[in-house]
Amino acid sequence: MLIDIEAVRIGLQAIWANKLRSSLTIIGVFFGVLSVITIITLMQAMMDGIEEQLSALGPSTFMVNKFGIITSREDYMDALKRKDLTVEDMGAVEEGCLDCEYVAARCYRFGSVKRKSEKLRNVPILGSTANFIDVIDFQVEHGRFFTEMEYQHKRQVAFVGPTIVEELFPGVIDPLGKTIKISGKKYKITGIAKKRGSMMGNNQDNFLVIPLTTQIKYFGKPRHNLALAIKAKNVETVTNTQDQVRSILRARRGVDYYDDDDFSILTAESIMAFVESITLMTRVVIGGIASISMVVGGIVIMNIMMVSVSERTREIGIRKSIGAMRKNIITQFLYEALILTLLGGLLGTSAGIGLAAILGEMMSIDVSVTFLSVAIGMSISLLVGLFFGIYPAVKAAQLDPIEALRYE
Amino acid sequence: MSLIQVDNLWKTYDMGNEQVNALQSVTLKIEKGEYVAIMGPSGSGKSTLMNLIGCLDTPSQGVYMLNGNDVASMDDNELARIRNKEIGFVFQTFNLLPRATSLHNVELPLIYNGTSREGRREKAEKALGKVGLSDRMMHQPNELSGGQRQRVAIARALVNDPSIILADEPTGNLDTNTGDEIMGLIQELNRQGNTVIVVTHEYEIAKKARRIIFLRDGKIEKEEYKQVG
Ligand SMILES: Nc1ncnc2c1ncn2[C@@H]1O[C@H](COP(=O)(O)OP(=O)(O)O)[C@@H](O)[C@H]1O
Ligand SMILES: [Mg+2]
Repeated sequence: MLIDIEAVRIGLQAIWANKLRSSLTIIGVFFGVLSVITIITLMQAMMDGIEEQLSALGPSTFMVNKFGIITSREDYMDALKRKDLTVEDMGAVEEGCLDCEYVAARCYRFGSVKRKSEKLRNVPILGSTANFIDVIDFQVEHGRFFTEMEYQHKRQVAFVGPTIVEELFPGVIDPLGKTIKISGKKYKITGIAKKRGSMMGNNQDNFLVIPLTTQIKYFGKPRHNLALAIKAKNVETVTNTQDQVRSILRARRGVDYYDDDDFSILTAESIMAFVESITLMTRVVIGGIASISMVVGGIVIMNIMMVSVSERTREIGIRKSIGAMRKNIITQFLYEALILTLLGGLLGTSAGIGLAAILGEMMSIDVSVTFLSVAIGMSISLLVGLFFGIYPAVKAAQLDPIEALRYE
Repeated sequence: MSLIQVDNLWKTYDMGNEQVNALQSVTLKIEKGEYVAIMGPSGSGKSTLMNLIGCLDTPSQGVYMLNGNDVASMDDNELARIRNKEIGFVFQTFNLLPRATSLHNVELPLIYNGTSREGRREKAEKALGKVGLSDRMMHQPNELSGGQRQRVAIARALVNDPSIILADEPTGNLDTNTGDEIMGLIQELNRQGNTVIVVTHEYEIAKKARRIIFLRDGKIEKEEYKQVG
């Protein structure tokens, strides 16, 4: 142990004595680790964000829609041939599925929203059943969602996202009961959703929900974009519930025994798996680039250490002549490389987290310091130091004492 | 049993088209407590012999027994241990670590045998005291005169209490007066019981030893013993 403290001391001394060389090494590792950490931290934050968004779809909840996850043009063309899901499909599931707690439907439209002179264009207008709020995790800030009665009677009521309020009612704290115009028709605001903020540049608070019945009345029958949102009674048996829904829909829609479903069942899990699969390639490529930069950093270290060894040949000769063993010399040079790489790694990790935070801010992604990224940053630099430091260290240890002493 | 027993020792350098015999069939014995000088013209093999005795180098042929142990059978770590414990080497060019203090330079051999921090300090201070450098412990080599540097090197050679002190032209880089002082110090060490082998090409210096070995062309040409009062 004593010798190790000594090796650290010698390492620090050598580092201090060769400031330029040492800074170059540190910079080499710094940029490698910086890029790795920035990427890992950002990717992780992005995934966390998507997962959080999906968590609105709880573990006992799943969606049924026409398209499912489309990854190619063929997928799309095939899916296009499928029958649209209908309000009647929803009714059938609601009636036939014993394990379903709630069966809701929602349909997407876009339209303009107006109040006095203020106007918003291209706002997502969701039409849904009244129990949609029980299935999807909308948090209510003020007021309430619309009711079954309002749904049945095709009332012109709206549950709105906070952005709508901010834009149309500047300065107004409580716009409940006030009227807005959606694509030319008047609607009364029944409630306001809790703010969710932005996610990857996407404002999640810019939306309206109106009764599906009202939406059909004024916007026409839903086509491709009606989806069912279903909550199972029991989390454990959610797959059984999915099978129930599947057989009801297949029977209704006349799917042959040997044919595939003509609809898709999506869970938070399957969507996440999909997101992970499509980002995997990106992550592999970026990881590859990062590894290359680490290898480049490592080669820089190896070269600098080789210079360090040859400059100190005489010193090695002196040490060996008075009894240093090979392992002492190896330790000495390895410690020097490790101190440098760990220093570079520490700086690179901190800067990487900082850079990720700045980029995250720009892309509206929540970045947090994870133990994982720190651990990865430090272990990468440790490994690089060991891997690229060992060769020069062994070279140094193998020097013949007499020749080393004669070296000028 | 002699301290050093060298039998038919050869050192051959393969220089491609020709072979250089730096040592040819050298046989000699050195007893504990002796003071031996090795003389000979430049290139006669003095340094080669010293390096072999000091376990810095290995012979091409022949047997070298140190304290009854065959050096040829030792591995790298054992040789390092011998260099550390049994041998104190003093070089013509001092060979001190340039950026370390006298104290640290003298402590160095102790670091490699795991002596505790306090033990190191105590022994190194004592050795520096012996060579008269108690007031230069925190100086680096470039802040010392040539003679002082060689004293530091001698203190380093002494610090582990070795079986032999080997000095290869220790005065070669010093002026005459300083050289005499250093030789006086080495002689004093022998008087205190240390076995000493000194290489020199000055007869004036060699004369102080009880025994002089003359080398020529890698062979022992003759030996001279004398009575010293
Ligand atoms: N590494 C080496 N390679 C080739 N020849 C060497 C080497 N070391 C020493 N020699 C040769 O061995 C002979 C003895 O050298 P050395 O022992 O240094 O002589 P001295 O110390 O007596 O001046 C010389 O001829 C020298 O050229
Ligand atoms: Mg010589």
